[in-house]
Amino acid sequence: MTDQGIKSRPKYQRLALDPSGRHHLLLIDGPALSSEAADAGFDIAACETWIVIRRSAVPPEPILAEAPGAIRPFRSTAHLFSALQDRLARETMGLRIYAAGTEDFLWDIHGIADQAGMSRQELRFCHVGSKARRIFCVHCRTITAGVKTSIVACSGCGASLFVRDHFSRRLAAFMGVQVDAEAPGEVPDAEEIYA
Amino acid sequence: MTLQFKPNETFRSDFAYGKSDADLLRFPFPFPEDAYMYSVNIEPHVRGGPTAAFAHVFDIDEHYVAECRERALVLAEDPKRCQVLPHMEMAEWDTLELIMESLAADYPDHFSLTKAGDLWTWVNRPLGIQQSFTFGEAHTLPYGPFEYITRQAQGDFTLQDQRDDNLYVDGGMVTTQADWSLEFNIGMTFHEWHGPVPLAHEKGVFDRALKYLLRLQYGRPVRRLNWTITINPRLDTSPENYPVWGPDRTTVTSENVGEKVHLRVELQTLFRLPRSNAILFGIRCYLASVADLARVPKWRRRLHRVLRDLHPEIQAYKGLPRYRQMVLDHLAPFDDGAPTSPGIQSDLDAL
Amino acid sequence: MIADGPIPLRVHDIESLSPSLKRFSLTALHGGELPTAAPGAHIMLTLRGPDRVMKNAYSLVSPAACRDRYQIIVRHVAQSRGGSAFLHQGIRPGDVIEAAPPVNLFPLSQSARKHLLIGGGIGITPLLSYLPLLKARGARFELHQISSAEDVGVFERLLAPFAPGQEIRIHGGGRGAFDLAGILSRQPLGTHLYVCGPRPLMDAAASTAAALGWPPGKVHKESFGEAAGGLPFKAILARRGIEIDVGETQTLLEAIEATGIAAPCLCRGGACGECRLPVIEGEVEHRDDFLSAEEKAAQSAVMTCVSRARSARLVIDF
Repeated sequence: MTDQGIKSRPKYQRLALDPSGRHHLLLIDGPALSSEAADAGFDIAACETWIVIRRSAVPPEPILAEAPGAIRPFRSTAHLFSALQDRLARETMGLRIYAAGTEDFLWDIHGIADQAGMSRQELRFCHVGSKARRIFCVHCRTITAGVKTSIVACSGCGASLFVRDHFSRRLAAFMGVQVDAEAPGEVPDAEEIYA
Repeated sequence: MTLQFKPNETFRSDFAYGKSDADLLRFPFPFPEDAYMYSVNIEPHVRGGPTAAFAHVFDIDEHYVAECRERALVLAEDPKRCQVLPHMEMAEWDTLELIMESLAADYPDHFSLTKAGDLWTWVNRPLGIQQSFTFGEAHTLPYGPFEYITRQAQGDFTLQDQRDDNLYVDGGMVTTQADWSLEFNIGMTFHEWHGPVPLAHEKGVFDRALKYLLRLQYGRPVRRLNWTITINPRLDTSPENYPVWGPDRTTVTSENVGEKVHLRVELQTLFRLPRSNAILFGIRCYLASVADLARVPKWRRRLHRVLRDLHPEIQAYKGLPRYRQMVLDHLAPFDDGAPTSPGIQSDLDAL
Repeated sequence: MIADGPIPLRVHDIESLSPSLKRFSLTALHGGELPTAAPGAHIMLTLRGPDRVMKNAYSLVSPAACRDRYQIIVRHVAQSRGGSAFLHQGIRPGDVIEAAPPVNLFPLSQSARKHLLIGGGIGITPLLSYLPLLKARGARFELHQISSAEDVGVFERLLAPFAPGQEIRIHGGGRGAFDLAGILSRQPLGTHLYVCGPRPLMDAAASTAAALGWPPGKVHKESFGEAAGGLPFKAILARRGIEIDVGETQTLLEAIEATGIAAPCLCRGGACGECRLPVIEGEVEHRDDFLSAEEKAAQSAVMTCVSRARSARLVIDF
């Protein structure tokens, strides 16, 4: 992957338990924690873990224990997000959230945690899975999801957008800027670099 | 001091914009020496400086009325150019208090503020506004307090919340910007919103500037100058409208370069606000064409040398490559190689 | 607002709240409005005693909206450094005192979902300045005032305007009977803690909060900042052959400027690097953000706007 040298692009680290936390909630975009998401010594038993199984049939008697070691399945990321909003409204200070998944998943969680009053000191993110990007068209404000190429047509206004490394955590998206704004029609070939 | 405003100036389409001699001589020329590189060029914002633009807390000049109308036009097209996150409400009132009190004290011919307890009356004569309202009650104003007062001020403003030893840009009025988007950047930390700037991160400029600003004290504002180049006297060079103004860069010719190419200077001021502990960041934009600047011997020599020797990454970041050589060819005959005095002052009393 | 130096204040009124507490109301000597003082702000008073000049910082208890006067509450303690004793015994209504413009190093968080305020004894003062704002904004908050049994009455009177009840509690049994860990462990996400009082209380609150997983950005201890000055020393400007005395409340840069010599400077806050001067002899106490750790260790340069000498003499190549 290319690096445009823009410092707003998030940097991620493998998950490690934050010893200053009092309780720990691990959110995984998938059925289990991938080995690339955490250090070998990561103590998953210290966390309450939420996973996304991407099936409509969750176990008939779901495990709802809010305790270390419990593993709770969700049908989809949206299903997990709605439960997370409800949960954070009841949580007390001392919580740490750990999340592993695609950038969309991580920064949607960031937005929910921010709404609940959590700061970045209380969150740990590791990016695993697809490197596809969400692109915010700075001209028309449409978000185009799943972008894998250096240049993409905006799904809102059709402009050929250069995918800039400038990242907005609030929008959970990278910036797209019309590549041929100065000389219309001069569009370089798109390369697949965010697979 | 009574200013002669030029209410019919425009900053788009026909670009009916010009500078009086006095206006040119008060221009805050941004280069204190013949070369440019990023640095922490911050100094206390005291009354007075190398040109008249530094004489007041907030500078008002002959373009005031026209710039306020341009701002209203941009906001009518795109209301999101003014946004303030909900937790910044106290900072909105802090801003209104600071700007109203400063303008009324510095320009009593043009602005006045009277108070009867919380009931305030604001008079803005150049814009023909008289407004009574209750300080602290937003519904008594036609806009939110931050939008209300920054619609009546020249230059852009942002509000920075200080938390977790960082500054977050959590609000702003941004209609005269040098290619950055409030809608995209709102909520970012100090390093994130300066993310695209080349070279300066590696030099530690933003680390040092942030530490300095976290300690900024109420009553002791600071300032710095920043610059870029804009084609035509266009205030709204936003990323949002890049497809509108981007093609201007291809219209520069060796015949029109003096009139088309403008040095765009930002007199940036930073104020600690009292109630909110936020920082108000004023980004006051000044435009001067290369032809205007060439009327000042020191400035034309220095502009030529700075642009000639500018680091390639800074050239690219500021969008110069398409027309830089034409500017150099235009200015080179004016540069006799004579030494220039340190500092930004014009060294002229009159043109 | 650009501060134009110290603010002369007239003592308008002195009110005795208890045998050891007095409330001083200070108004602008020349009339007009005082600079807006934030909740949590303090002012540094210059107190000219009979034998020495003292500089003491006091939290403002008056609300920010109040621009016609500043109010402080001063406790007279037996081992007072002198400033508080002087205010209690040597100051009368009508006297004039100089203050530096207000500084706020204990601000309210603008993004907190809830504010948890803990005061110990006279540490109630900055919290009193918070309350009008929190009440006016309908903010969610909880205040716990820890008090000795004999001071409960005075704190009840001070808090009475804010309708104590569920939100405001006075704990008259002192620190021992106060369940700090219990209170800190049941706070909702997004709570900010503000603690002001004796140093052991502030340290205990901060360490208990940290042990319960509170991130450092949400724990605020009252502070008047670190002293800007330090021990006096002699600066020798080698090229000029001049010796300068740098006083304890003066920076090296200010001391050089006071002799009429224009020294390089820009930001006056240790960030820009302009004021760097080479050091020939002496040890520098570096306080800037400009020099690298290696440069600081080498002791070969000083940033005159913030750094000082650790040695009695500092010889500069200037």
